Parts: sequence; C-alpha cells; structure tokens
Amino acid sequence: MATISSAPAPGMQQIDLSKLNLPQLAQLKQQLDQELNVFQDSLQTLKMAQGKFVESGESVDKLTPETKGKTILVPLTESMYVPGTIADSENVIIDIGTGYYAQKDIDGARDYFKRKVQFVTEQMEKIQMMGIEKSKAREAICMMMEMKLQAQAQAQGQGQALKATRS
Amino acid sequence: MAEEIQKKLQKELEVLSGVQKEYHKAVAQKQQLDSQLNENKAVKEELMLLKKDAEVFKLIGPVLVKQDLEDARQNVAKRMEYISKEIKRTDNHIAGLENKQESLQENLNKLRNDLGKLKIKA
Repeated sequence: MATISSAPAPGMQQIDLSKLNLPQLAQLKQQLDQELNVFQDSLQTLKMAQGKFVESGESVDKLTPETKGKTILVPLTESMYVPGTIADSENVIIDIGTGYYAQKDIDGARDYFKRKVQFVTEQMEKIQMMGIEKSKAREAICMMMEMKLQAQAQAQGQGQALKATRS
Repeated sequence: MAEEIQKKLQKELEVLSGVQKEYHKAVAQKQQLDSQLNENKAVKEELMLLKKDAEVFKLIGPVLVKQDLEDARQNVAKRMEYISKEIKRTDNHIAGLENKQESLQENLNKLRNDLGKLKIKA
C-alpha cells in the first residue's frame, strides 16, 4: 500500500511514499488535486459534447421521407423564428470540425452521430479510469501524511514528557 | 560580500521566474497544438470515410463554400503536417527551457549555500 504508481505515462515511476517527508507529500497531494480537477473539467466538457451529439442524432431520426415539404420554424436567433419548408429530407449537412461541413444522407448522418457518441463515451471512460487511479494515489498520500503527523506528535509528546521528568 | 551574493541571488531569481513564465507559455501552446492536431485528425478520418461524390463545404466567414473533396483532404493533410512540425518545434523549445531551469536552479542553490556559509561565519 505504501508504494503507489503515479503518472501512468512514459515517465512511470514508483515512489515509496514512506520515504517522503511531509512537505513533499503535501506537494504531491496538491499536484494530484490539480490533476483531478482537470479530469473533472474534461469530463464535464465531454459530457456536454456527448449530449450535443445525442441530440443531433435524435433530430436526424425525426427527418423521415414523410417530412418533405412540411413547414418548420427556422430559428434566426434564439428567440426569433421564420417559417420554412423542408426541401430535402434525405440529406443533411454536418459540421465535421475545423470549418469543414459534409453532406450526408440520413443513414450516414445517423452513423456519424453514433460513432461520435461512442468516441466521446470511450474518452470519458478512459478519463474516469485515470481519475480512479489518481484518487487512489491521493488517498494513499493522505493516509501517509496522517501517519507521519501522528508520529511527529508522538515524538513531540515524548520529548515534552522527558523534559517534564527532568525538571 | 553577503550583500553582493544577495544581489546576485535576486537577479538569478528574476531570471528563473522569467524562464518559468516562458515555460508555462510554451506548455500551454503545446496543449493547444495537440488539440488542434486531434481535431484535424478527426476531420481527416471523416473526409476519408466520405464517398467520392459526397459534397463538402468549408465555412468561410458566414457562408458555406463548396469544396472539392480531394482538395479538402489535401488541405487537412497539409495542415496536420504543419501542426506536427510546430509541435516538434515547441517540444524542443520546452526541452531547452527545462534545461535552462535546471541550471538556474543549481546556480541558485549554490548561491544560497554560499550565503548560508557566510552567515554562519558572521
């Protein structure tokens, strides 16, 4: 339990926590806290992206051949709409990133959003796994700090007791 | 003598903090480039998946302009090449700054030691 692996990256290193002193442990803990925060933020962002892809995928499902020629309200701004008709219910144009848009048919679009949701979900799982690892490391560090603090307190207590008996 | 070292120490500290600032900037830049590369990778994959006759548009300002698929593929590939080069350059920059930081730190430690010794003597 005393040895934990930190940083699963290439620079993988085993650190014996019991050999570190208190300030070093505190610093390590702070570093882990920071990393955990970054993970949390990333998860939040990914969740939002996931939600957008799911929503878009659902919208694609609503675009059936029967919807052709039907009227819809097109948002010009968030609060202003103009009526329009669906001219093409077989194709949609998708933002694929970095300013590029591609035309896809309904099946292609459905497939695209499915893939994207899967990709984002995989990333989230990866981050969650890493987060669990880091949390474990953090816990181990907290325990070690606790132990060291207690040992220190005890040593001080004994020192004072010794002084007391001398005087 | 002690004052002289103190002054030197101050100066070195200033240099170190400057280097550290530059280092953080370089790291942030690298992260940005990394995410750009990833986005371009995703776009390239998507372009590769498209059928030959698929229509591709590029967003220029507020309008979508139709683009040739082959052109788009090449454009993204070129961009990725450029970003990869930039990443390499930034990596080298970061490595150089790391070395600089280390040597400065060593220097600082030496100066601190000297100062400590002088204080003990005094």
